[in-house]
Amino acid sequence: MHELSMANSIIETVLNEANKRNAKSVLEVNLVIGKFAMLGTEQLRYCYRLLVKGTPLEKSKLRIEGEEGRVRCEACNFEGPIHLEQEPEYHIMYPTLQCPKCGGTVEMVAGRNCFIRSVKLRA
Amino acid sequence: MAKLVKHDEGEVFDIELEENILKANEDAAAKNRDLLRKHGVKAIDIMGSIGSGKTSLIELIVQKLKGKYRIAVFNGDLTTTIDADRVARHGVEVVQINTGKECHLDANLIAKALDGTNLDKLDLIIIENVGNLICPGEFRLGADERLVVISVTEGPYMVLKHPFIFMEADVVVINKIDLSQAMGVEFEKLRNDVNKVNAKARVVGTSCRTGTGISEVVEALQIDNLRRQ
Repeated sequence: MHELSMANSIIETVLNEANKRNAKSVLEVNLVIGKFAMLGTEQLRYCYRLLVKGTPLEKSKLRIEGEEGRVRCEACNFEGPIHLEQEPEYHIMYPTLQCPKCGGTVEMVAGRNCFIRSVKLRA
Repeated sequence: MAKLVKHDEGEVFDIELEENILKANEDAAAKNRDLLRKHGVKAIDIMGSIGSGKTSLIELIVQKLKGKYRIAVFNGDLTTTIDADRVARHGVEVVQINTGKECHLDANLIAKALDGTNLDKLDLIIIENVGNLICPGEFRLGADERLVVISVTEGPYMVLKHPFIFMEADVVVINKIDLSQAMGVEFEKLRNDVNKVNAKARVVGTSCRTGTGISEVVEALQIDNLRRQ
Protein backbone atom coordinates (compact mmCIF):
# COMPACT_ATOMS: atom_id res chain seq x y z
CA MET A 1 0.00 0.00 0.00
CA HIS A 2 2.99 2.27 0.36
CA GLU A 3 4.38 1.46 -3.08
CA LEU A 4 3.97 5.06 -4.27
CA SER A 5 6.18 6.48 -1.54
CA MET A 6 8.68 3.63 -1.95
CA ALA A 7 8.83 4.24 -5.72
CA ASN A 8 9.39 7.90 -4.95
CA SER A 9 12.33 7.13 -2.61
CA ILE A 10 13.85 4.79 -5.18
CA ILE A 11 13.63 7.42 -7.92
CA GLU A 12 15.05 10.13 -5.65
CA THR A 13 18.00 7.94 -4.69
CA VAL A 14 18.75 7.07 -8.31
CA LEU A 15 18.40 10.70 -9.44
CA ASN A 16 20.87 11.79 -6.75
CA GLU A 17 23.34 9.19 -7.94
CA ALA A 18 22.86 10.20 -11.59
CA ASN A 19 23.34 13.89 -10.77
CA LYS A 20 26.45 13.16 -8.73
CA ARG A 21 27.98 11.40 -11.72
CA ASN A 22 26.72 13.87 -14.33
CA ALA A 23 24.75 11.17 -16.11
CA LYS A 24 22.24 12.33 -18.71
CA SER A 25 19.92 9.40 -18.40
CA VAL A 26 19.28 6.25 -16.43
CA LEU A 27 19.03 3.07 -18.50
CA GLU A 28 18.42 0.48 -15.85
CA VAL A 29 17.53 0.22 -12.16
CA ASN A 30 18.11 -3.13 -10.47
CA LEU A 31 16.07 -3.64 -7.34
CA VAL A 32 16.03 -6.43 -4.79
CA ILE A 33 12.79 -6.88 -2.90
CA GLY A 34 12.32 -9.42 -0.15
CA LYS A 35 9.47 -11.82 -0.69
CA PHE A 36 8.37 -10.98 2.85
CA ALA A 37 8.52 -7.20 2.46
CA MET A 38 5.08 -5.61 2.33
CA LEU A 39 5.57 -4.46 -1.22
CA GLY A 40 3.72 -5.62 -4.30
CA THR A 41 5.99 -5.61 -7.33
CA GLU A 42 3.13 -4.98 -9.77
CA GLN A 43 2.00 -1.89 -7.88
CA LEU A 44 5.59 -0.76 -7.48
CA ARG A 45 6.20 -1.00 -11.24
CA TYR A 46 2.98 0.90 -11.90
CA CYS A 47 3.90 3.72 -9.50
CA TYR A 48 7.45 3.82 -10.88
CA ARG A 49 6.14 4.32 -14.42
CA LEU A 50 3.88 7.15 -13.28
CA LEU A 51 6.64 8.94 -11.42
CA VAL A 52 9.50 8.70 -13.93
CA LYS A 53 7.68 10.72 -16.57
CA GLY A 54 9.68 13.77 -17.52
CA THR A 55 12.77 12.67 -15.54
CA PRO A 56 16.09 11.18 -16.72
CA LEU A 57 14.63 7.84 -15.61
CA GLU A 58 11.76 7.99 -18.07
CA LYS A 59 13.09 5.30 -20.40
CA SER A 60 14.78 3.23 -17.72
CA LYS A 61 14.19 -0.48 -17.35
CA LEU A 62 13.13 -1.52 -13.85
CA ARG A 63 14.37 -5.00 -12.98
CA ILE A 64 13.15 -6.56 -9.75
CA GLU A 65 14.78 -9.57 -8.17
CA GLY A 66 13.00 -11.34 -5.31
CA GLU A 67 14.95 -12.10 -2.15
CA GLU A 68 14.03 -15.40 -0.49
CA GLY A 69 13.09 -15.45 3.17
CA ARG A 70 15.72 -16.92 5.50
CA VAL A 71 15.50 -17.62 9.19
CA ARG A 72 17.92 -18.49 11.97
CA CYS A 73 17.16 -20.40 15.15
CA GLU A 74 19.07 -19.35 18.24
CA ALA A 75 18.22 -22.56 20.04
CA CYS A 76 19.52 -25.12 17.53
CA ASN A 77 21.51 -22.92 15.09
CA PHE A 78 19.33 -23.94 12.16
CA GLU A 79 19.60 -21.54 9.25
CA GLY A 80 17.52 -21.95 6.13
CA PRO A 81 14.36 -21.02 4.30
CA ILE A 82 11.32 -19.84 6.18
CA HIS A 83 8.87 -22.60 7.03
CA LEU A 84 5.52 -22.49 5.24
CA GLU A 85 2.51 -24.06 6.89
CA GLN A 86 -0.45 -25.46 4.94
CA GLU A 87 -4.03 -24.83 5.97
CA PRO A 88 -6.06 -27.25 3.85
CA GLU A 89 -9.35 -25.97 5.27
CA TYR A 90 -8.90 -22.54 3.65
CA HIS A 91 -6.52 -23.62 0.87
CA ILE A 92 -3.82 -21.23 1.96
CA MET A 93 -0.16 -21.38 2.86
CA TYR A 94 1.29 -19.02 5.39
CA PRO A 95 4.79 -18.42 6.75
CA THR A 96 5.57 -19.20 10.37
CA LEU A 97 8.40 -18.30 12.73
CA GLN A 98 8.58 -21.92 13.85
CA CYS A 99 11.93 -23.64 13.50
CA PRO A 100 11.50 -26.58 11.09
CA LYS A 101 14.24 -28.46 12.99
CA CYS A 102 13.55 -28.02 16.70
CA GLY A 103 10.15 -26.30 16.78
CA GLY A 104 11.54 -23.25 18.58
CA THR A 105 11.02 -19.66 17.44
CA VAL A 106 13.28 -18.33 14.71
CA GLU A 107 14.39 -14.83 13.73
CA MET A 108 14.12 -13.63 10.16
CA VAL A 109 17.52 -12.81 8.71
CA ALA A 110 16.58 -12.12 5.09
CA GLY A 111 13.52 -11.60 2.96
CA ARG A 112 12.35 -8.23 4.24
CA ASN A 113 14.79 -6.01 2.40
CA CYS A 114 14.19 -3.51 -0.32
CA PHE A 115 17.35 -2.17 -1.87
CA ILE A 116 18.74 -0.80 -5.10
CA ARG A 117 21.49 -3.19 -6.10
CA SER A 118 22.82 -1.22 -9.06
CA VAL A 119 21.98 1.28 -11.76
CA LYS A 120 23.10 1.63 -15.36
CA LEU A 121 23.67 5.24 -16.39
CA ARG A 122 24.47 7.00 -19.64
CA ALA A 123 26.87 9.94 -19.52
CA MET B 1 47.61 19.38 -12.69
CA ALA B 2 45.76 16.27 -11.55
CA LYS B 3 44.74 13.90 -14.25
CA LEU B 4 41.00 13.84 -14.70
CA VAL B 5 39.28 10.70 -15.85
CA LYS B 6 35.68 11.03 -16.84
CA HIS B 7 33.03 9.31 -18.85
CA ASP B 8 32.74 10.20 -22.50
CA GLU B 9 29.52 11.64 -23.79
CA GLY B 10 27.04 8.81 -24.32
CA GLU B 11 29.14 6.21 -22.48
CA VAL B 12 27.17 3.67 -20.49
CA PHE B 13 28.35 2.65 -17.04
CA ASP B 14 27.14 0.49 -14.17
CA ILE B 15 27.13 1.66 -10.58
CA GLU B 16 26.85 -0.75 -7.64
CA LEU B 17 24.63 1.01 -5.15
CA GLU B 18 23.41 -1.45 -2.50
CA GLU B 19 21.26 1.41 -1.25
CA ASN B 20 18.71 0.11 1.24
CA ILE B 21 15.42 1.96 0.84
CA LEU B 22 13.96 0.72 4.12
CA LYS B 23 17.14 1.36 6.07
CA ALA B 24 16.41 5.08 6.50
CA ASN B 25 13.39 4.11 8.60
CA GLU B 26 15.32 1.49 10.59
CA ASP B 27 17.96 4.10 11.41
CA ALA B 28 15.36 6.65 12.49
CA ALA B 29 13.66 3.98 14.63
CA ALA B 30 16.96 3.17 16.34
CA LYS B 31 17.44 6.87 17.10
CA ASN B 32 13.94 7.11 18.59
CA ARG B 33 14.63 4.07 20.74
CA ASP B 34 17.91 5.53 22.03
CA LEU B 35 16.24 8.84 22.82
CA LEU B 36 13.40 7.13 24.71
CA ARG B 37 15.83 4.92 26.65
CA LYS B 38 17.93 7.95 27.59
CA HIS B 39 14.88 9.57 29.15
CA GLY B 40 13.64 6.33 30.71
CA VAL B 41 10.40 6.37 28.71
CA LYS B 42 8.79 3.13 27.58
CA ALA B 43 6.95 3.20 24.24
CA ILE B 44 4.28 0.86 22.87
CA ASP B 45 3.25 0.66 19.20
CA ILE B 46 -0.41 -0.34 18.88
CA MET B 47 -1.22 -1.66 15.41
CA GLY B 48 -4.37 -3.36 14.20
CA SER B 49 -7.24 -3.46 11.79
CA ILE B 50 -9.70 -0.64 11.26
CA GLY B 51 -12.44 -0.70 13.88
CA SER B 52 -10.83 -3.50 15.88
CA GLY B 53 -10.75 -1.34 19.01
CA LYS B 54 -7.27 0.20 19.12
CA THR B 55 -8.50 3.51 20.55
CA SER B 56 -10.83 1.82 23.03
CA LEU B 57 -7.99 -0.39 24.24
CA ILE B 58 -5.75 2.66 24.67
CA GLU B 59 -8.49 4.47 26.60
CA LEU B 60 -8.77 1.55 29.01
CA ILE B 61 -4.99 1.22 29.44
CA VAL B 62 -4.79 4.96 30.10
CA GLN B 63 -7.62 4.82 32.64
CA LYS B 64 -5.91 1.98 34.44
CA LEU B 65 -2.43 3.49 34.56
CA LYS B 66 -2.86 7.27 34.56
CA GLY B 67 -2.81 7.52 38.36
CA LYS B 68 0.44 5.58 38.46
CA TYR B 69 2.44 6.91 35.52
CA ARG B 70 2.82 10.02 33.40
CA ILE B 71 1.46 9.00 30.01
CA ALA B 72 1.32 10.54 26.53
CA VAL B 73 -0.59 9.11 23.58
CA PHE B 74 0.32 9.66 19.92
CA ASN B 75 -2.65 9.03 17.64
CA GLY B 76 -1.92 8.22 14.03
CA ASP B 77 -4.69 8.67 11.46
CA LEU B 78 -4.96 9.89 7.90
CA THR B 79 -7.02 12.87 8.99
CA THR B 80 -9.19 14.31 11.82
CA THR B 81 -8.53 14.50 15.57
CA ILE B 82 -11.45 12.23 16.53
CA ASP B 83 -9.26 9.62 18.24
CA ALA B 84 -7.03 12.20 19.89
CA ASP B 85 -10.10 13.98 21.30
CA ARG B 86 -11.40 10.69 22.70
CA VAL B 87 -8.15 9.95 24.49
CA ALA B 88 -7.65 13.56 25.64
CA ARG B 89 -10.83 13.28 27.74
CA HIS B 90 -8.83 11.08 30.11
CA GLY B 91 -6.55 13.99 30.98
CA VAL B 92 -3.30 12.77 29.42
CA GLU B 93 -1.10 14.51 26.88
CA VAL B 94 -2.20 13.65 23.32
CA VAL B 95 -0.49 14.31 20.02
CA GLN B 96 -2.43 13.71 16.82
CA ILE B 97 -0.25 12.64 13.90
CA ASN B 98 -2.05 13.00 10.59
CA THR B 99 -0.33 11.06 7.83
CA GLY B 100 -2.38 12.58 4.99
CA LYS B 101 -2.47 9.68 2.58
CA GLU B 102 0.09 7.34 4.05
CA CYS B 103 -1.14 4.00 5.30
CA HIS B 104 1.22 3.74 8.28
CA LEU B 105 3.22 5.75 10.80
CA ASP B 106 6.96 5.84 10.28
CA ALA B 107 9.93 6.53 12.52
CA ASN B 108 10.41 10.01 11.07
CA LEU B 109 6.88 11.09 12.06
CA ILE B 110 7.45 9.70 15.56
CA ALA B 111 10.76 11.58 15.78
CA LYS B 112 8.87 14.80 14.98
CA ALA B 113 6.25 14.06 17.61
CA LEU B 114 8.95 13.23 20.18
CA ASP B 115 10.67 16.49 19.37
CA GLY B 116 7.65 18.44 20.60
CA THR B 117 7.26 16.35 23.76
CA ASN B 118 8.92 16.89 27.13
CA LEU B 119 10.27 13.37 27.69
CA ASP B 120 11.54 14.14 31.16
CA LYS B 121 7.95 14.48 32.27
CA LEU B 122 6.84 11.09 30.93
CA ASP B 123 7.06 7.41 31.84
CA LEU B 124 5.06 5.87 29.01
CA ILE B 125 4.13 6.72 25.43
CA ILE B 126 1.37 4.77 23.72
CA ILE B 127 1.41 5.12 19.93
CA GLU B 128 -1.74 4.30 17.98
CA ASN B 129 -0.76 3.35 14.44
CA VAL B 130 -2.98 3.81 11.39
CA GLY B 131 -5.67 1.12 11.12
CA ASN B 132 -4.15 -1.39 8.71
CA LEU B 133 -2.92 -4.99 9.03
CA ILE B 134 -0.31 -4.68 6.28
CA CYS B 135 1.97 -1.67 6.08
CA PRO B 136 2.60 -0.69 9.72
CA GLY B 137 4.37 -4.03 10.22
CA GLU B 138 7.10 -2.95 7.85
CA PHE B 139 7.91 0.35 9.54
CA ARG B 140 9.26 0.01 13.06
CA LEU B 141 8.96 3.17 15.13
CA GLY B 142 11.48 2.55 17.89
CA ALA B 143 8.90 1.31 20.42
CA ASP B 144 9.80 -1.32 23.04
CA GLU B 145 6.77 -3.47 22.40
CA ARG B 146 4.57 -3.92 19.34
CA LEU B 147 0.96 -4.94 19.89
CA VAL B 148 -1.54 -6.00 17.21
CA VAL B 149 -5.31 -5.75 17.84
CA ILE B 150 -7.91 -7.70 15.90
CA SER B 151 -11.48 -8.50 16.87
CA VAL B 152 -13.82 -11.45 16.45
CA THR B 153 -16.21 -9.30 14.39
CA GLU B 154 -13.69 -9.32 11.53
CA GLY B 155 -14.22 -13.05 11.05
CA PRO B 156 -12.01 -16.10 11.59
CA TYR B 157 -9.31 -15.52 8.94
CA MET B 158 -7.62 -12.28 10.04
CA VAL B 159 -4.43 -13.89 11.33
CA LEU B 160 -3.74 -16.32 8.51
CA LYS B 161 -4.52 -13.72 5.87
CA HIS B 162 -2.07 -11.21 7.35
CA PRO B 163 0.71 -13.35 8.83
CA PHE B 164 3.48 -10.76 8.41
CA ILE B 165 2.20 -8.24 10.91
CA PHE B 166 1.67 -11.00 13.48
CA MET B 167 5.30 -12.06 13.01
CA GLU B 168 6.24 -8.57 14.18
CA ALA B 169 4.04 -8.64 17.27
CA ASP B 170 5.14 -9.08 20.88
CA VAL B 171 1.52 -9.06 22.08
CA VAL B 172 -1.66 -9.84 20.15
CA VAL B 173 -5.04 -8.70 21.47
CA ILE B 174 -8.22 -10.38 20.25
CA ASN B 175 -10.94 -7.91 21.11
CA LYS B 176 -14.76 -8.01 21.36
CA ILE B 177 -14.74 -11.54 22.77
CA ASP B 178 -18.15 -10.74 24.31
CA LEU B 179 -19.46 -10.96 20.72
CA SER B 180 -17.72 -14.24 19.97
CA GLN B 181 -20.83 -16.38 20.15
CA ALA B 182 -22.97 -14.03 18.07
CA MET B 183 -20.25 -13.91 15.42
CA GLY B 184 -19.58 -17.65 15.48
CA VAL B 185 -15.87 -16.88 15.74
CA GLU B 186 -13.86 -18.60 18.46
CA PHE B 187 -11.12 -16.89 20.41
CA GLU B 188 -9.26 -20.20 20.67
CA LYS B 189 -9.11 -20.59 16.89
CA LEU B 190 -7.60 -17.13 16.45
CA ARG B 191 -5.17 -17.75 19.31
CA ASN B 192 -4.00 -20.99 17.72
CA ASP B 193 -3.47 -19.20 14.42
CA VAL B 194 -1.26 -16.59 16.13
CA ASN B 195 0.66 -19.34 17.92
CA LYS B 196 1.31 -21.08 14.64
CA VAL B 197 2.60 -17.93 12.95
CA ASN B 198 4.55 -16.53 15.91
CA ALA B 199 4.78 -18.67 19.03
CA LYS B 200 6.63 -15.92 20.90
CA ALA B 201 3.72 -13.47 20.81
CA ARG B 202 1.54 -13.38 23.91
CA VAL B 203 -2.17 -13.59 23.01
CA VAL B 204 -4.84 -11.95 25.17
CA GLY B 205 -8.62 -11.98 24.69
CA THR B 206 -10.34 -8.74 25.67
CA SER B 207 -13.62 -6.95 25.63
CA CYS B 208 -13.15 -3.22 25.78
CA ARG B 209 -16.85 -2.91 26.45
CA THR B 210 -16.76 -4.92 29.67
CA GLY B 211 -13.10 -4.38 30.57
CA THR B 212 -12.27 -8.10 30.40
CA GLY B 213 -8.59 -8.86 29.84
CA ILE B 214 -7.22 -5.32 30.22
CA SER B 215 -5.07 -6.22 33.26
CA GLU B 216 -3.63 -9.10 31.30
CA VAL B 217 -2.75 -6.78 28.39
CA VAL B 218 -0.97 -4.40 30.76
CA GLU B 219 0.94 -7.31 32.23
CA ALA B 220 1.83 -8.73 28.79
CA LEU B 221 3.19 -5.33 27.73
CA GLN B 222 5.26 -5.22 30.92
CA ILE B 223 3.92 -1.80 31.80
CA ASP B 224 2.37 -2.77 35.11
CA ASN B 225 5.60 -2.08 36.92
CA LEU B 226 7.54 0.68 35.22
CA ARG B 227 10.62 2.02 36.87
CA ARG B 228 9.95 5.65 37.82
CA GLN B 229 12.82 8.00 37.12
